[in-house]
Amino acid sequence: MSNRSLPGLVSRDGETRVRVTKGLELTKRQSMLALVGLLVVFAIPDIATVTPSLQLTVVHQGLLFGLAAVGLNLLLRHTRLVSFGHAAFFGTGAYTAAVLAAKFDVASFSLLLIAAMVVATLVAAIVGYLSLRHTGLYFSLLTLAFGQLLYALVQGQSFFGSSDGLPVRPGAARQPLIFGLALDSEAYAVILYYLTVIILVVSLVVMWRLVNSPFGNALDAIGQDRTRAQFIGIPVQRYVWIAFVISGVYGGVAGALYAMVQQHVRPGPVLYFLRSGDILFMAILGGFQTLLGPLVGGVLLVFLQDVGRDVTAYFDALTGVALLIIVFGLPRGLVGSLRAGGLLAAATRDFRENPAVVGEWISAAVTGIVEATRNWLRDVQSILGVR
Amino acid sequence: MLRADSLRKSFGNVRATDDVSVEFGKETGEMVFIVGPNGAGKTTLVNLLTGHLTPDSGRVLLDDEDVTGLSPDERVHAGLVRSFQVVKLFEEMTVRENVRTAVLSQHRLTRSMFTLRDGHQEVEQTVAGLIDKFGLAEHADTVAEELAHGTRKLLDVAMSFGLDPDYLLLDEPTAGVSTREKAYVIDTIAEVSREEGVTTVTIEHDMDIVSEYADRVVALHQGGVHGEGPPDILETDDELRRLLLGVEQ
Repeated sequence: MSNRSLPGLVSRDGETRVRVTKGLELTKRQSMLALVGLLVVFAIPDIATVTPSLQLTVVHQGLLFGLAAVGLNLLLRHTRLVSFGHAAFFGTGAYTAAVLAAKFDVASFSLLLIAAMVVATLVAAIVGYLSLRHTGLYFSLLTLAFGQLLYALVQGQSFFGSSDGLPVRPGAARQPLIFGLALDSEAYAVILYYLTVIILVVSLVVMWRLVNSPFGNALDAIGQDRTRAQFIGIPVQRYVWIAFVISGVYGGVAGALYAMVQQHVRPGPVLYFLRSGDILFMAILGGFQTLLGPLVGGVLLVFLQDVGRDVTAYFDALTGVALLIIVFGLPRGLVGSLRAGGLLAAATRDFRENPAVVGEWISAAVTGIVEATRNWLRDVQSILGVR
Repeated sequence: MLRADSLRKSFGNVRATDDVSVEFGKETGEMVFIVGPNGAGKTTLVNLLTGHLTPDSGRVLLDDEDVTGLSPDERVHAGLVRSFQVVKLFEEMTVRENVRTAVLSQHRLTRSMFTLRDGHQEVEQTVAGLIDKFGLAEHADTVAEELAHGTRKLLDVAMSFGLDPDYLLLDEPTAGVSTREKAYVIDTIAEVSREEGVTTVTIEHDMDIVSEYADRVVALHQGGVHGEGPPDILETDDELRRLLLGVEQ
């Protein structure tokens, strides 16, 4: 019984699958993809040494903001709540690490990370408790308000270094010690990167388990119909609060790692509301209906912003253009659209086997267009108030 | 027994529920129907009983325990379950997932974070049983929003029974259902609640259904209880007939 939940090879529906965790069993193709993906991620430090256009810190930052976006996506995808203040938790994690290192000479990587998790949990519990009294727009505005409050607080206090921020250099050490090791800065960057990747993989597996659990099911139910969820016995308020805290902790972990990577934190890049917007955008860019989408979105957006800076003075516009393309062209986001790509491949196969299937497609398309036109007309009518 | 004790609720100047004291489930498994003209306060009463609304004064007692202060979800776990007039389903979930969500909640498993949502044997068995019992097998893997109206009503009721209620409050379970399907929906409700000893309290406008299925009728008018008794009060109480049907004496 117990070893059935361990990772390994299992046989399912007559084929061998790779079990990552209980219930998550990848087919041969999926395992290959996952392996290639992991290899690429692991090879980034080496690739970065040969190509100047790809910098390790950029990818590293992208993965970390992506991790925060994975956390935010728990709320966005499942409870359907749009948090516009997730930089608050990213910033909380970053500043917890910075304050402990700069002011209290805490040098241990693990200690800084754990402390950041604890503080992020507390902050998310308070912000969540107050914001979740409302839903919809008011919830979003409250998270935005709390985020800005935190930003103003840090910006205004000399203890937090005001707008100059704080270095993440504990005492005499140039950087935090990883498992007690004082490394030179290059080794530090690479080892920290690999630790991030490991934390990332664990975080993703944990998130997968969470969203596929009965608790995740309850969050889906809450997202789809709050009232009904409560009337089938789900303590809606408490569960949404728990989800909010978990979501915040993901941000806190990412922020702490970010602080240790950058070795300096300033309020602007980690706490300002535009950062909250970025994190939200990353989830949508990568595809918020998927587990991996927000992560891909994170890497891509940070990369775009970095490259854009060299290419054009209007690099901020790049983000806007990317957002427009996604909303109008790929509303499922990048990873979500890959799935649609799979559908396209299946359709091509169908067509090769039986060209007559085109007839079905045309009739489906016509029905779809008629339906869409009817809906559109109805919308216009109701907006104009003519029925 | 589910008891309303001097419940009052006003919206502005309107007394939607005006000193209502009634009892449901005097005999376990009885089918009580709430009747009354539009605006009589039927839905408000159900909302007060289930915790969707808080009364201005009065109490709700469940098996002699005061549950007025309990939240809706706590009342569900105490055995008090309701459905809504406009069917509320988890629209993006399949029929099976909808029922599973209810049964997981009934088993108090929704707090489980690291088991699989479809990995609980006893839950899956209950879910399969309910899907069978309510004739939903052929739609088990259909997404709720694609279901026909009558099927949606059945799924709604199946979910309610999945919560293992002692008292089930149904707000117009046959509203908007075709005449042909009406009988099937109400028959199924009657049959399953009899089997499981569930007391049902049903708001219903169709007097044919009321007289055929009711063990007892509670008539509301202008927020208060107009009268209650066996279904033949629908025939004998002229005042009630006038209120309900507009029939002159």
